Amino acid sequence: MASTDATLPIPTRDDAPAAHRARTGRGWLRRHGRAAAALVLLAVTLFPFLWLVQLAFKPAADLFEDSLWFIPTLDGFRALLQGSFPRSFLNSLAVSTLSTAMSLAIGVPAAYALTRWQFPRRRHVALWILVTRMAPPIAFTIPFFLAYRWLGLQDTIFGLALVYLTFNLAIVIWLMQTFFEAVPTALEEAAYIDGCGVWQAFWRITLPLAAPGVAATAVLCFIFAWNDFFYALILTRTQAVTAPVAIVNFLQYEGWEWPKIAAGGTLVMFPVVVFTVLVRKYLVHGLTAGGVKD
Amino acid sequence: MGAANTLAAPATPGLRAAHASRGWQAARRRAFALGLAPALIVLLAITLVPAAALVVASLTPLSLTDPAGTFHFRDPLGNYRHLLEDTRFLGSIATQLKLSAASVALQLAVGLGVALLLNRPSRVLGAVRGAFLIPMVLPPIVVALIWKILFTPDVSPLHRALEAAGWPVRSLIANPDTALWAIAFAETWQWFPFTMLMVLAALQMMPADPLEAASLDGANRWQLFRYIVFPHIRPVLVVCGLFRLIDSFKAFPLIFVLTEGGPGTVTEVTNYYGFIQAFNFSYWGYGSAIATVILAGVFGLSWLVGRLGWNDHGKH
Amino acid sequence: MTQRRHLLQAATGIGASLLLPGLSAHAQPAGARRFQGTTLNVSTFSAAYPKLLQQWLPEFEALSGAKVNFDAPSFPVYNQRADLELSTKGSAYDVVNVTFIYSSRWIDSGWLTPLDEFIANPQHTPADWDVNDFLSGARAPETGRDGKLYGIPWTAEALLSVSSRFDLVQQAGLAFPDTTDDLVKVLRAVNKKERVAGFVSDNHYGWTFVPYLHAFGGDVFRKAPDDLFPTLDTPEAVAAADYYANLIREFGPDGAITYQPDQVTQALKLGRVNFSDAGQLHLAQLGDAATSKTLKTVKFGFVPKGPAGRFPGTAVHGLGIPAGSRNKEAAWAFIQWALSKQTTRRAVAAGYGSPARRSDIDSAEFRSRQRINGNDLAQLSLDSIAQAERTGHMKYRTVSVYPQVDQQLNKAIALIASGQANARQAMQQAQAQSIAELRRAGQKI
Repeated sequence: MASTDATLPIPTRDDAPAAHRARTGRGWLRRHGRAAAALVLLAVTLFPFLWLVQLAFKPAADLFEDSLWFIPTLDGFRALLQGSFPRSFLNSLAVSTLSTAMSLAIGVPAAYALTRWQFPRRRHVALWILVTRMAPPIAFTIPFFLAYRWLGLQDTIFGLALVYLTFNLAIVIWLMQTFFEAVPTALEEAAYIDGCGVWQAFWRITLPLAAPGVAATAVLCFIFAWNDFFYALILTRTQAVTAPVAIVNFLQYEGWEWPKIAAGGTLVMFPVVVFTVLVRKYLVHGLTAGGVKD
Repeated sequence: MGAANTLAAPATPGLRAAHASRGWQAARRRAFALGLAPALIVLLAITLVPAAALVVASLTPLSLTDPAGTFHFRDPLGNYRHLLEDTRFLGSIATQLKLSAASVALQLAVGLGVALLLNRPSRVLGAVRGAFLIPMVLPPIVVALIWKILFTPDVSPLHRALEAAGWPVRSLIANPDTALWAIAFAETWQWFPFTMLMVLAALQMMPADPLEAASLDGANRWQLFRYIVFPHIRPVLVVCGLFRLIDSFKAFPLIFVLTEGGPGTVTEVTNYYGFIQAFNFSYWGYGSAIATVILAGVFGLSWLVGRLGWNDHGKH
Repeated sequence: MTQRRHLLQAATGIGASLLLPGLSAHAQPAGARRFQGTTLNVSTFSAAYPKLLQQWLPEFEALSGAKVNFDAPSFPVYNQRADLELSTKGSAYDVVNVTFIYSSRWIDSGWLTPLDEFIANPQHTPADWDVNDFLSGARAPETGRDGKLYGIPWTAEALLSVSSRFDLVQQAGLAFPDTTDDLVKVLRAVNKKERVAGFVSDNHYGWTFVPYLHAFGGDVFRKAPDDLFPTLDTPEAVAAADYYANLIREFGPDGAITYQPDQVTQALKLGRVNFSDAGQLHLAQLGDAATSKTLKTVKFGFVPKGPAGRFPGTAVHGLGIPAGSRNKEAAWAFIQWALSKQTTRRAVAAGYGSPARRSDIDSAEFRSRQRINGNDLAQLSLDSIAQAERTGHMKYRTVSVYPQVDQQLNKAIALIASGQANARQAMQQAQAQSIAELRRAGQKI
């Protein structure tokens, strides 16, 4: 995927007396106007997000005050510790990890096979995989809900991780195909000549080379599983309830406890924001699951 | 395995080699099939089977107050007939189209604008590009919470600032004229970085020569954009728009938290209406019919995306 | 640290067993902490009585040994989740609230456990627990067609009218409104005086609007429970909807149609809104000196009388056990503790406003606590309940398909109040949708 740092060479007209321009105001604006505008736009865009985070640290008494100066407190977070929120946070961790592991285990070999093996009807399979990623959750929750009641998987971590395969598997297959394509087949051919089987060569040669890709894919799977709301809302009750659903409980309960809600929101988004920094290069590719040329 | 065959010296090298090679290829094919099979089986089990069950359920008036009695196929298209007469369902489709159109248009416009702004090599801009990702990766429920706070007059800094400036604004999400726009706005805030990233990537890959030539000929910035840059990125915008359109049909957390489909039914999109029918009164048959309709729509649009923007790995 | 906690638990256990002689003598022949190791999942909607129970949970846990998870979301969320869980005979909850409008739907579908055996069994229920102490009118909606009891009522309440700033009404030279015309006159006089909005009600209009529907001569069904053809588009119904939605639109605060019951109570307590209709489940909180700013200016009365008469709404909620629960005995131990005479009397002493036990209603503590600013809230609600029994106008609420119509009414009033449709259009749409829903639910109309 092309790096976003390459140059777009629209020639500038500021070449001449640069030093002089740098001293005058107009020159400064021309040189740094773009950056300044970008920073202003960034501040405006991130304001809602930052407001939530600062609200998490605000004491409840100051809630309706307008001033931005307040003594930060951890009361909102402390209030979260009682009740079922810690448990739901752990549930989210467990489900996301399990879903990632399952998706990788099933999807990585499949992606490799799809990359190296040209078979008829490939396009149909590929379209099917794309559609599964695009389908609205409600189309799956109805049959899954009924089936899980019958199978006893309702409100279990495994049940939820299984449902998440409906989108994570497609992500893994599409992303890993790109990474496997980047591994030259010559190395594998050499291994075949040496007597390796297909999957031996894969394990010894291809996978280590594609390891960064696997890591990035794993992180993306984790993020998508972590962020899910609809499936968790319907398919969990008290045992396997995940963090996003638990926060909504606060809103829908009678207490308009904004610091607690904000604290919950901050905690829930924290792992995702951290992980995103790690995989930002692959983000768009992951979100389109390869449905788009890039 | 197959390699062992090639090491054994054949009496008639050509024929033996050919045989060996075919055997080796067959073994390879088997190995690949083995690797692909689990994924296909799992996908089959968790997507095609439930989808089939969904369509089957949509042909019955299934309701759990009397499961045995309502699971029959006496009137298979009954639910679909009712859908056509159901003004609330038809209204939900209109609402969905309105919301999708507004939200996608805004996302494209804002994303394009920001991409053009940030398209320069610079440390500052590079860091800023990364920071713009944040709205897109936040859990959708957190986005909904953020905007719930910003749209609740009591606690919202925006409302209080406006009131202090002398322009008091009533609650946007409780007003039927502005509720849908409020949701479109929140959704734009969340997803414009997606368009921004895709347009940036396309801009990077644009060849420099036409631009240099045109600029030497005296074209100004606007002309450069209109005649050279825009045609180049238009396909990306189209695919991006289609992609966001498909995703917009899944809109749920924002509506669930901000308006619950209200006031009245002005923000009740089809996805939400299906949720109400299926999960409020256990009208599984009717809810399945609604979900099938959405699925058919998404399928059609996905096919379109596939045709227009297909990233066919086979072509590499 | 854990030693201290054990000691505390033991002390609570001893203390609790002293307070509840019946329990320790009969209900646990094997000794206290009978359900050690069990986890009970209890869910009701958020209201005054469950809140008190949540505070007293440690006593029950010490007594029975069970651990209790108490979930109390808002009313519509609770109903949706409970309905979904019950419909699949799930085991996620052991004790649920049997909501008034859903009681018939849940009981007649066989989704709840009959409680008669638990009540009759001396091992589970002490003799002096006295199920007949609960108002018969409160037990009736919790009884199935088979005559068995499926829920034990914890509240029997009536819709009453309240003015949190009655001083403003008096300043305008008017009296507490008695008829629907009076109400509009008074609201016009006091709306926005001292920045107090005139009127609000919680957005469960299927509950708060129907007294007005009846007052204008309309009804929900033609003749519940026999003839379930909806009558939402009759001229009387349209007139009632127009009147009521207008109250909200003209005299309501900002975002009035999004107000939940607790928001309404909060607004009344803080004196941000003047008039409302609410059950004394909520209104009793206005008497709380600690949090109510309007304690000195509040006045209560009956819901307004219309051309066809006065029809206060009444509601009963109870605690029941889902059919799919795996801890039914422990669940019953909880219910029987939560609604024992001692616990309900304690709640009344703490200011709880709508008990379901006759002994509590007649008690001196109840009558004295419910005298708020010179109003006898208890008498008002008892009169309303008695009237409802006489006229039978609440029969529409125990129809098993009422929940669907309830939601249609919610939407219709919201549509009119937000100006998206006029009364006739909205009510006609509600009528058409209700008929469709009833047919979908299997009713023959």
